Amino acid sequence: MEMTEEMTIPQVSDETRRKHEQALPMWKIVLTQFAEHKMAVVGAIIIVLFMAIALSAPLIEAVTGLDPDAQNVFNRYQPPFSRAIAGQDVRETTVEKFIHDKPEVSQALETALISQGLVSSQAPADALFELTAKPVPEALKILEQVGTAEAASLKKAFQAFESYHIFGTDELGRDVFIRLIYGTRISMSVGVLVAIVSALVGLLIGAVAGFYGGAVDTLLMRVTDALISLPLLPVMIVIAAIDMQKLPALKALVSTQNESIFKMVLILCLFSWMTVARLVRGSILSLREREFILASKTLGATDFTIIFRHMFPNVIAPMLVSITLGVGESILFEAALSFLGLGIQPPTPSWGNMLFNAQELIYQAPFLAILPGVMILLTVISFNYLGDGLQDAVDPKAIRR
Amino acid sequence: MTTYILRRLIQTLVVIAILSYVCFYLMTLMPGDPVDMMISSNPKITAADVVRLRELYGLDQPSYVRYGHWMGDILKGELGYSRTYRVPVQDLLGPRLVSTFILSMVALGFSILISVPLGVFSALRPGSKVDYVINFFSFAGISIPSFWLGIVCIIFFAVWIPLFPAGGTQTVGGPDLGFFANLLDRSKYLILPVLSLSLQQIGRFVRFTRSAMLESLRNDFIRTAKAKGLPRQIIIWRHAFRNALIPLITILALSISSIFSGAIITETVFAYQGVGKLTYDSIIGNDFNVAMVSFIISVAMVLVMNLVADLLYGVADPRISYS
Amino acid sequence: MNKTLKLGLAAALAVSVLANCTKKEAVAPAGGEPSTTAAATNSTKNAELKIGISQEFENLNPLIMSMSASSYMYRMVGRTLVSLDADGKWFTQLAKSIPSLDNGSAKIVEVGGKKKIIATWDLLDNAKWNDGTPITCADFAFALKVAAAPTVSVGEKETFTQVEKIEADAANPKKCTFTYEKAKWDFYALAQFYPLPKHLEEPVFNKYGKEKEGYEKNSNYTKNPTMKGLYNGPYAITEVKLGDHVTFEPNTDFYGPQPKIQKIIVKLIPNTGTMEANLRSGTIDMIGTLGLSLDEALAFDKKVKAENLPYEVTFTPSITYEHIDLNLDNPILKDLKVRKALITGLNREDLVKALFEGKQEAAIHNLSPKDPWFTRDPKEVTLYPYSKREAGKLLDEAGWKMGSDGYRMKDGKKLSLVFMTTAGNKTRELVQVYLQDQYKQLGIEIVTKNEPARVFFGETTRKRKYGAMAMFAWVSSPENSPRSTFHSSSIPNEKNGWSGQNFMNWSNKDNDKLMEELDVEFDAKKRLDLIHKITKHYTDDVPVLPLYYRSDVSVVPKNLKNYRPTGHQFAETNDVEKWDLGGSTLN
Repeated sequence: MEMTEEMTIPQVSDETRRKHEQALPMWKIVLTQFAEHKMAVVGAIIIVLFMAIALSAPLIEAVTGLDPDAQNVFNRYQPPFSRAIAGQDVRETTVEKFIHDKPEVSQALETALISQGLVSSQAPADALFELTAKPVPEALKILEQVGTAEAASLKKAFQAFESYHIFGTDELGRDVFIRLIYGTRISMSVGVLVAIVSALVGLLIGAVAGFYGGAVDTLLMRVTDALISLPLLPVMIVIAAIDMQKLPALKALVSTQNESIFKMVLILCLFSWMTVARLVRGSILSLREREFILASKTLGATDFTIIFRHMFPNVIAPMLVSITLGVGESILFEAALSFLGLGIQPPTPSWGNMLFNAQELIYQAPFLAILPGVMILLTVISFNYLGDGLQDAVDPKAIRR
Repeated sequence: MTTYILRRLIQTLVVIAILSYVCFYLMTLMPGDPVDMMISSNPKITAADVVRLRELYGLDQPSYVRYGHWMGDILKGELGYSRTYRVPVQDLLGPRLVSTFILSMVALGFSILISVPLGVFSALRPGSKVDYVINFFSFAGISIPSFWLGIVCIIFFAVWIPLFPAGGTQTVGGPDLGFFANLLDRSKYLILPVLSLSLQQIGRFVRFTRSAMLESLRNDFIRTAKAKGLPRQIIIWRHAFRNALIPLITILALSISSIFSGAIITETVFAYQGVGKLTYDSIIGNDFNVAMVSFIISVAMVLVMNLVADLLYGVADPRISYS
Repeated sequence: MNKTLKLGLAAALAVSVLANCTKKEAVAPAGGEPSTTAAATNSTKNAELKIGISQEFENLNPLIMSMSASSYMYRMVGRTLVSLDADGKWFTQLAKSIPSLDNGSAKIVEVGGKKKIIATWDLLDNAKWNDGTPITCADFAFALKVAAAPTVSVGEKETFTQVEKIEADAANPKKCTFTYEKAKWDFYALAQFYPLPKHLEEPVFNKYGKEKEGYEKNSNYTKNPTMKGLYNGPYAITEVKLGDHVTFEPNTDFYGPQPKIQKIIVKLIPNTGTMEANLRSGTIDMIGTLGLSLDEALAFDKKVKAENLPYEVTFTPSITYEHIDLNLDNPILKDLKVRKALITGLNREDLVKALFEGKQEAAIHNLSPKDPWFTRDPKEVTLYPYSKREAGKLLDEAGWKMGSDGYRMKDGKKLSLVFMTTAGNKTRELVQVYLQDQYKQLGIEIVTKNEPARVFFGETTRKRKYGAMAMFAWVSSPENSPRSTFHSSSIPNEKNGWSGQNFMNWSNKDNDKLMEELDVEFDAKKRLDLIHKITKHYTDDVPVLPLYYRSDVSVVPKNLKNYRPTGHQFAETNDVEKWDLGGSTLN
């Protein structure tokens, strides 16, 4: 906008002239181009939002006081927008911890409770536990009656027993909202990690094949083609079904706890580098004969320098597009494998395994199945639009000036 | 032409052989062989029995030897015995292959039928509202998890509005009403699975058709044809679309693999008795022979379709020759 | 009879039989086609019943099959000498009466210093295969021969091989003498000893029996499952589509009263989530005991009541015993105090209340309340009422002190236990995560890891590769010796080829002796005394954490009469011939 205005001014100062004559930097062109693709912008915003949510999951947990693992088994399958009171076992644990952490405070409180006759038990040790057995509002009222500072501190703990569940609760009475947020964290990081790792693998393989050509190229591209044409899911199921700890090479890397996530990333990486490899190989093949590469060769640059210094900058843009599209695809595959029960194992929440858990009670608690699906759909569609927008933006053919 | 086909066929066979060995090896890594199964069901088995049984099943041999034996049996037409269903593998696979073939072909046909006109239509009006909407829906199609779509379809069309059966392949126990009634019955069971299986393909095909058409419409010969005053329909279909066909065929061939992957999920959700579900069940249940055979069939199917696609290029584009 | 390891997804087997014993009197063989019988005696309501199940079934050769769903179906087409009814009582099917020592139809003999039993089984005169061939002792002897063949993989091999030989009386081919390998009191419990039609199967066995899996592949049950002569129950199979459905139609050669329902279809719906939709749309009419998970049944029950649907959701307590085996190889679990802390810190009452709405009962040991041997007398067994404080105290005593991160430590090591179960079993996974949370409050870290059933049972449990805890269920029948799971000779190890079902590696010499005595004790009172002593050892040593006894759930149309789920290994299809949809007064 600004530019066109300036153009209309007949008298141009030296400064504006310089500015005008200066070529527009590449990233600016790309950005303006990208901004024209409205859906891509929306997609980018959604992705940034989800990433922010994923990163701040512990913060959200702290603010809302919701714990993705906190169970409340007497309040299972609560509909959205409902309230629930923590179970007695949780209340007892809290009181126990309170006594453990603040022995003096609790002692004072115990004597106060007994002396005022607010509890029926005589032993000081039981006084606080008796409160946990009462309905929470009643216990709060008693604490109010005591009125001391000690009582106030315990009251705070008691107030936290009542929780509000905006998306309801799941099969163990856990809050669906906070689990979705943690699921975002897992699903997003699996998606992003897989896309980046597979892009790097693809880059390496594509570069080697394209740069060296000949037999290396033929071999690598045969493998790539074979893998591309494989029906992915059956292969992934086979790999997902084997016990990773049986493979000695991986044993050190894998602990029981992170096994399923590690396995997931590994499996997805194994089968998603091929597109990038082809793409990189194509670009490098065309770059190989260009003058600037020949020039650096004559100047004695090593293969490594040529590939990394001179060729990579030229393939980064299309790779970025491919990574973006890859994230969406990986999220879908993660969900599919988890849906088949082969993905991320409970209790770690991921969108896929939340869906897996929900499908059984689809009629009783449809929300449980619909929400993670909507999250997947939203995220994947955003990544796809983002990729599309980026493609338009970096593709010189598509630039409309 | 013949030598080309022959060369590609041999290549395909080699790839299948290598992949089947890899799969065979991976399957041996899975715990629980037939003898393990017998032991767990028979508390009285002795150590000597175990050794004898292992020999009987050849489990004391290294995996490549066992692979050799197994491949030999396969080549003799002996597909082995299903440990889960306790029947020979061929009895199990036959009808299911047909079911899956029907499901995937109907889904593929349906996707092409829907997506090609839509793609061409939106390519002719780039930037219009219609283009925008079609584009959005194709993006949604690509992004939707197919199993979730299946579940949602069941909720909507089988539970809330009971139009279609929630799962199965055909009505059982009903009287035999003749060929057409049976066909009608089977198609009723196909609608929801086909819908959930083809949505992703439709999304993908629409996008490819659209971009291939756009590319093709930019060509000089289109301008020439327009200048010549040829009717619009002829320009679109005979000149532009024919050119757009080549990339489309590639995508179609590649989509066979994703349709097959999708079939596993769709068949599981809809309890449709096909190879996809069998593949999944047999891998999970460690039903070795079934898993291997269905795996090889699915890989072979995909690779052969790729070959067919390559050959179809020649039909679509006379410039390509295979000499 | 040894305990059956559940390889399938879950759900107990069940059987049922009416309280009044089966009718053995001869019934005039119904002439003509089944359809004419239908028109004559039954209303149209009895025309067809479609039962939905969610578990896979296999080829229905009674010797080879090992899945719960297969034996659920096979009970409709094939009968055995005796079976167990819904009240846990033995009753006869193909036999005229149960042999006993008291009336001399069975006797203990000593051969070469070994005590054996010789019993005489008389077969029903009108018991025949559905091609009209009478069932004789030769069919039982042939089944034994096939089962003993090393090349044939028989699920319940021990059921057969406990019988050494079967001979027919020279004059009467239906009078059979069984010689048992050991003198065990429950020698007559032959509910899984199926006969095979010798006239049809012997040629196959002679031809292919020596090849590996040769008989399995070529048996008529595999090649031609609808062949006449393979079945002897109230129904015969008229169509089999593996992985989809099996169709049953009345067998006019059945020895008992003709069934009322003219066609039964058992349909496999593997996705339990769509079971309800299938029921509502009429694809199926009822859901068998191998259909729904408890959670789904609870939810559906509420809906049935709210919407007044024409179904009844049944919950039948079963003797299926869900528990956690503790790996006594694990250095942490070697300490009895830790094991006691684990059981004391386990709130089973809350568990069943919260997760099962009280429809399944908390377990105190391996015997279910349905078992006549059951006791909850604190003098007989040790009980561990829930007490978190008590559990904490036990752990403190064992040296596991609470650390700052909320987990207990000893010698710089965290109290962390690996807990495994079968992947894909929703109820177990639910319980597992629930227990993980419970133990976390005690300061114990539980690391979960699940595997598909085949892997879990095929390798992990047997080779004790489950770390610390393995959750699964034992399915058995009442008054079943716990020997196969408790005896130290049943500990799987390298030497015995990893066979045996004592996955805990629990070895108690006193207990071994008690169990050996139990097997040969013919006095019921003394047996009770022995079993209580065994259970006392079991509850004292805590090699296993009892969780709950499962309930069998089914959904049946309100008008289905005489349907009785059993809650044990032998399914309700044992008296399928009595089921009645018509509400007719003929019964």
